[in-house]
Amino acid sequence: MNRQRLHVWLIPACILAVVVIGLSIGPVPISLFAMSATDKEILFNLRLPRVLSAFLVGGGLALAGAIFQGLFRNPIADSYLLGVSSGASLGAAAAIVFKLASPLANFAAVSVFAFGGSLGALALVFYFGHRQGGFSIFRLLLSGLGVGLFLSSLVAIFMLMAGEELKALIFFFLGGFSSSSWDTTWVSLACIPLAALISCYFAPELNLLLLGEETARSSGVRTGRIQLLYAVLAALLTSISVSVAGLIGFIGLIVPHMIRLCFGADHRTLFPLTFFSGGIFLVLCDAAARTVMAPAELPVGIVTSLVGVPIFLYLIRNEAGDLG
Amino acid sequence: MEATHALDVRNVSFGYNGGLLLNNLSFAIAAGELIALIGPNGSGKTTLLKILLGLLAPNSGTVTLRGQSLSSYQPRERAKTIAYVSQQPALSFPLTVCELVSLGRYPHGGRGRQSAADTVAITDALERSAASDLRDRRFNTLSGGEKQKVLIARALAQSARVLLLDEPTLHLDLKFQLQILAALKRLCVDERITVITVLHDVNLASLFADQALLLSGGALRGFGPVTEVVNEASIKALLDVDLTAIAGTDSRPRYFVPRDPFSK
Repeated sequence: MNRQRLHVWLIPACILAVVVIGLSIGPVPISLFAMSATDKEILFNLRLPRVLSAFLVGGGLALAGAIFQGLFRNPIADSYLLGVSSGASLGAAAAIVFKLASPLANFAAVSVFAFGGSLGALALVFYFGHRQGGFSIFRLLLSGLGVGLFLSSLVAIFMLMAGEELKALIFFFLGGFSSSSWDTTWVSLACIPLAALISCYFAPELNLLLLGEETARSSGVRTGRIQLLYAVLAALLTSISVSVAGLIGFIGLIVPHMIRLCFGADHRTLFPLTFFSGGIFLVLCDAAARTVMAPAELPVGIVTSLVGVPIFLYLIRNEAGDLG
Repeated sequence: MEATHALDVRNVSFGYNGGLLLNNLSFAIAAGELIALIGPNGSGKTTLLKILLGLLAPNSGTVTLRGQSLSSYQPRERAKTIAYVSQQPALSFPLTVCELVSLGRYPHGGRGRQSAADTVAITDALERSAASDLRDRRFNTLSGGEKQKVLIARALAQSARVLLLDEPTLHLDLKFQLQILAALKRLCVDERITVITVLHDVNLASLFADQALLLSGGALRGFGPVTEVVNEASIKALLDVDLTAIAGTDSRPRYFVPRDPFSK
């Protein structure tokens, strides 16, 4: 009980601290209490959208990973399970290699095509995963694997054709927030918290699904609808995140496990804690990514795995008894 | 007060693609009885449980649960009346016993804070299945017998009047087999809960059940008091094994010992 009360107070404090850190540090150090006009410009038009984006994307990816792990009762599932990453990569690769113009004035072509690609991949995955009588969650999983592998080979062809643009593609694969703007931030601000709230609301149903479909159905859960809802929510969270920041690895796999190790597997606490922790973690990683090699930027995906994996391995080593 | 029957099954048939898995079953189960569902593998026991739970709809026939047609129940209302204990699930994630048992409260609200009634029901369910001392353990770390008690506690937390179990004694040592069945029997006697359980051991069925329901090839091969229905001839016909009945003492007159199939 004490442990629970502790984390309830810790979350807002951590978020506040991390936001302050994220806003203060960077190539130009800014004191939040004595700002010049340039400082304000940098703070509100560059850093604030960036910090917000990093928080939402980190939360979204971590939550999507937790959802897929719970839905498929599989601890090695992550946010990129249903072919979303391959679809987004294909869209981004097409935009970069063919220098496509953005169809939406305020958004970068890479973002728009990555989002389109991920939605296209999802449509394919659900088309092949569907059969008369509804969705089987495991057919959906296999269909995701198949579509993902196929699209990945198309991405490989694009990479071979890329030439000069290969570096831009690699940056997309490693993820980052250097092109964050208020426009993409607004989109994530509108969608990601909403999807997170819906996910948290139906957490009891997903808890019951952990015990098996028949137990869940016999307890009154409409399992088909819940599984479909969560598959769509997690896939959309990932699509939006990927189009804002490229492919950031490890968050969707590792953050949910860290939270489970520390606070247990009940999705009612797991989902909100995973969302906030994923957000906090990515804001910190992004702050590191833009300062350690300043003025150059490190792709944030590198930082997430360099920092996250050792912490994760440490937790496994020390909490092995609880892994069951 | 109580509906005449806990479950009333009339002319139920079920099958896929023309093949019949259950063929014209009819029986009625009184409240407060322990029913042993006995039959060889593939005889339709699990299919029958799913029909009784409302998870499968029969192709023809009707199931009445406590006086009301099963198909007319909303899923959550149904879950308040009939609960299911599946075979032991492999949990990928470490839920605690208390968390797992509290899932039984889902049909009664299940969202937001636990109500006082929920807390009482959970504590109560843990006590009735003799699992109170396990409440803070993680489910994955329990022994098979302890897991079974916890799964029964989850179903009890649903506050249902009818309990269906799929082989609750599977993988358990003899002591736990007896403990689990004794706990189920207490629910029938003390609280008039109706328990229907798949059992493979005819001796345990003889010892604990009030009625036996024999199923093979999707058809009903016998239904009635266990002392009348379970005998050498009926088990030979049902399972194709030779048993010798040995006279018992009190109200359970017979024990069954398998004969060596190789001796003539």
